[in-house]
Amino acid sequence: MIFDAEWLTELLDGAPDTDTLAEKLTDCGCLVELREEGEGAEKWDVEVTTNRPDAMNHRGLAREAAVATGCRLRPVDFDLSESDEDAGQLATIEIADPKLCSRYVARVIRGVSVGSSPEWLQRRLRNCGVRPINAVVDATNYVLLELGQPLHAFDLDLVRGRRIVVRPAEEGEQLETLDGEERELDPSMLMIADGEGVVALAGIMGGADSEINDDTTDVLLESAHFDALSVRRTSRRLGMHTEASHRFERGTDPEMAATACDRAAALIAELAGGHVCRGRIDVHPRPWEPTRMEFSIAALSAFTGLDIPADRVVEILEGLEFFPELEGDTVRVTVPPHRVDIERVPDLYEEVIRHVGYGAVPSELPVLPTTPGHRNANWQLIDRARQAAVTAGLVEIMTWSFIDAEVDALVPSQPICPGEPLPLQNPLAQTQGVMRRSLLPGMLTAAGANFNQGEQELSIFEQGRVFNRGDDGAREHERLGVALSGGDGAHDHLFARLKGIVDDLASRVGLPSTQWRGGGGPWLDADAGAELVAEDGTVIGFAGLLSPEFSDRWDLRHQVAVAELDLGLAEEPPLARFEALARHPAVVVDMTVEHGPELSYAELETATREFTTELVEELGYVTRFVPGEDVVRTTLRLVYRHPEKSLTQDEVNTAQDELRKRLAEALGVGFA
Amino acid sequence: MSTDRLDEVRSAFLADLEEAGGDAEAVEKVRITYAGRRSGLLNELTAVLRDLPKEAKRDYGRALNELKKDIESRLADARECAASEKVAAGKGQTKGVAGAVDVTLPGTPVQRGAQHPVHIVRRRIEEIFLRMGYDVEAGPEVEDDWHNFEALNIPPDHPARDDQDTFYLPQGYLLRTHTSPVQARVMESRQPPIRIVVPGRVYRRDSDLRHSPMFHQIEGLLVDEGITVGHLKATLEAFLHALFSDDVEVRLRPGYFPFTEPSAEVDISCIFCDQKGCGVCSGSGWIEILDSGMVDPRVFEAVGVDSERFTGFAFGLGLDRIAMLVYGIPDLRQLFAGDQRLTRQFA
Repeated sequence: MIFDAEWLTELLDGAPDTDTLAEKLTDCGCLVELREEGEGAEKWDVEVTTNRPDAMNHRGLAREAAVATGCRLRPVDFDLSESDEDAGQLATIEIADPKLCSRYVARVIRGVSVGSSPEWLQRRLRNCGVRPINAVVDATNYVLLELGQPLHAFDLDLVRGRRIVVRPAEEGEQLETLDGEERELDPSMLMIADGEGVVALAGIMGGADSEINDDTTDVLLESAHFDALSVRRTSRRLGMHTEASHRFERGTDPEMAATACDRAAALIAELAGGHVCRGRIDVHPRPWEPTRMEFSIAALSAFTGLDIPADRVVEILEGLEFFPELEGDTVRVTVPPHRVDIERVPDLYEEVIRHVGYGAVPSELPVLPTTPGHRNANWQLIDRARQAAVTAGLVEIMTWSFIDAEVDALVPSQPICPGEPLPLQNPLAQTQGVMRRSLLPGMLTAAGANFNQGEQELSIFEQGRVFNRGDDGAREHERLGVALSGGDGAHDHLFARLKGIVDDLASRVGLPSTQWRGGGGPWLDADAGAELVAEDGTVIGFAGLLSPEFSDRWDLRHQVAVAELDLGLAEEPPLARFEALARHPAVVVDMTVEHGPELSYAELETATREFTTELVEELGYVTRFVPGEDVVRTTLRLVYRHPEKSLTQDEVNTAQDELRKRLAEALGVGFA
Repeated sequence: MSTDRLDEVRSAFLADLEEAGGDAEAVEKVRITYAGRRSGLLNELTAVLRDLPKEAKRDYGRALNELKKDIESRLADARECAASEKVAAGKGQTKGVAGAVDVTLPGTPVQRGAQHPVHIVRRRIEEIFLRMGYDVEAGPEVEDDWHNFEALNIPPDHPARDDQDTFYLPQGYLLRTHTSPVQARVMESRQPPIRIVVPGRVYRRDSDLRHSPMFHQIEGLLVDEGITVGHLKATLEAFLHALFSDDVEVRLRPGYFPFTEPSAEVDISCIFCDQKGCGVCSGSGWIEILDSGMVDPRVFEAVGVDSERFTGFAFGLGLDRIAMLVYGIPDLRQLFAGDQRLTRQFA
């Protein structure tokens, strides 16, 4: 909120220089964010927190400044002279709903001539970001900025029946507000009506039909107290935010209505001529009742960790108008009407602490049992995944948790779609309309962006949650996604690189062991895609080369290999256990098997494993060569070792002969 | 005489050769023992051949031949190996097989992985608090109104809801606007003493240069008997000193958050300009770093903690902001663009 520094200083008796003032205000919780030159005075942008509507005006902020700097707040001082004409004879006020309007004060000023307000006042309004309109309206805005009480001036001649009724709107009623907008009203909204219809939105904005105009001579001045929640709901429903609603929503001083009304009436008479009619029309169905509270200095000091002298406590609370009384160690206070935020004792502690200053509080670390901290299992899991990916040479990216619903609609064709989509009800953009059910859409967009930046090689991963709609809100699933591109351009090499990484990640994360089974739907290339299937048949992920169709959809200029793993079944991998190191030499045999393309490596390896003796310590893949259309040569490496002696070549030869014979019988393969 | 003897010789040979290792002289000794022209064991084994019966002769002969070939080839390998070791020991005085290496050519690049800077910063902060005995907790990103707002003293229609523009989901659920709901969840599930930090992803309906609809926070909570404002202050100082440096000054300013009373906004002295004023601190010499306060008794009451007996403090900070600050990243949204060139810088 913007303040005029000169105006602020004017309200203080013995104000320090503006630098000190700004510093002290900041220290006590009213952060002076920006100081800049305004018209004839500095303009200060002060961050007044939402719980402090009392400081959202010059007098209120000056009250803080007085306590913070040790000077005195000048009393409200103005001269009001009234004519003999009784205001009560000129208009009537009625409050139909005292719950939503605890007080309505009005005054009548007659014989004004509406012109512009003087330059000094216009300057102050402009410094505070308020546009000058005419002397009457400017006077009400000036008092709002000075005392925090929103006011409204009606042209009394345009108030039909010279009667004001505060009541809820009726179904279907409409009002053209001062900003020229036609507003549709409903019974949840509190209105100011006259003898015939609605003339203002209570606490938010006046209507166009009764506004002050060049011909206005008689003014009805409204100064009321409206229920904060009611104003807030109405302004939100209508999408309106005004200086008045901003304050009413946060809670105005219920006792300020009368003073502000007098002050504004006097100012209107001063600026626009005319005379103030005798007496206030004051309808006050629910008087304000003061709240009393007490606390002990000892409790305050214990809570703070600082011994605060009783007289300092009293001094602060006196300055803030809490009328403290000290009896022994006990402080009794009366919460002033402008402090709508003070409800409990800790609220009072805060008043004292912020003026004593956190700087005065001695730092002392708490003493608790020396139990070691531990990390939640989910964090351990996802950081294990993250660490595994980094170890595999991948770099982490983050993409949005929400994606385009149209893109998300492609996810059910993946082998591991979690369930129904979870749409946002108020997305910022359609492209962020639904919670993601897969990491891949975001990662592919990122891949495209990387390629467009000239990146050729891609080695990225993302760890994050995907979401689906559940019976009770949502289900969240931790996922790990990988995207690769580059290398020598051979697709089987890219696939092999992906598979090597994915298998390594799965084992480090502690996922159940899986089979790679051809698949992956439209997302993956039909010739180079796989689902990862656990022993019980659960598909926990998929991996392969992105299909040409999806590559086009994301407009990717290089072939990308992708994988996504669901981490739900992961368990912490067991600690590694030492195995005795072999002491006898191994005999390594490379065996090249010649077979048809229909035999998969997995089948070949499984059969080989089945037919080998226990002397085979390791069985692995070396290379594959395809010499002709129907011939594949796969070389396997077998490591023979006996635990207690050196193997002879004969023993190995015999075992190999037997193995070849059985493989040939079972699979019909030959040997090169 | 059978092939068993040949196997014994093979084993002995392999063992001796292994023992010889890369030492050329030792390898030569092994050669003489087994394949020496005069007294080598192979000679001896060949001599036996003459006296064997016909059938045994064929098998034995074949096995002996294999053994000879094996021994010779292994010896050749071992000699070559020993020779190259000698080259290495000679410090390049002898020319390598492949010719001179241009030692100024770059080496093969190592493919290094890297975590996202936000997670690097998160782990650093977690470690600081783990050392102080805090647990690291987690919670759902899709929250209910109770945990995200009401339990934290933000009733419906509270103006503070304006500051945390919320994404709503079906059935009254929402995307959590801060990590604080996990505070409420933890306090509902266990009694003090409680010492936790909660990192995580949060969402607000806001997007500009300084705001992103998705970002990350870390939240801290300590609840016990007799916890004071001084404890809060010292904890934050210890944390910020560990995160930045012991030289940074820490300043608490009064602030307002619905779930703490009193509340404090915390600044550190600008780490870039030594408080002389720069772009990062907007010339003020101070950088806003976190929000904190003493837990409001209403929060304790909402989650079933005895507010007469216990007091506590809470604090929260933006991880993305810290990462931007620490690494000098200018635009928040760059963090979520998925550009691998960004993360690679932190490998």
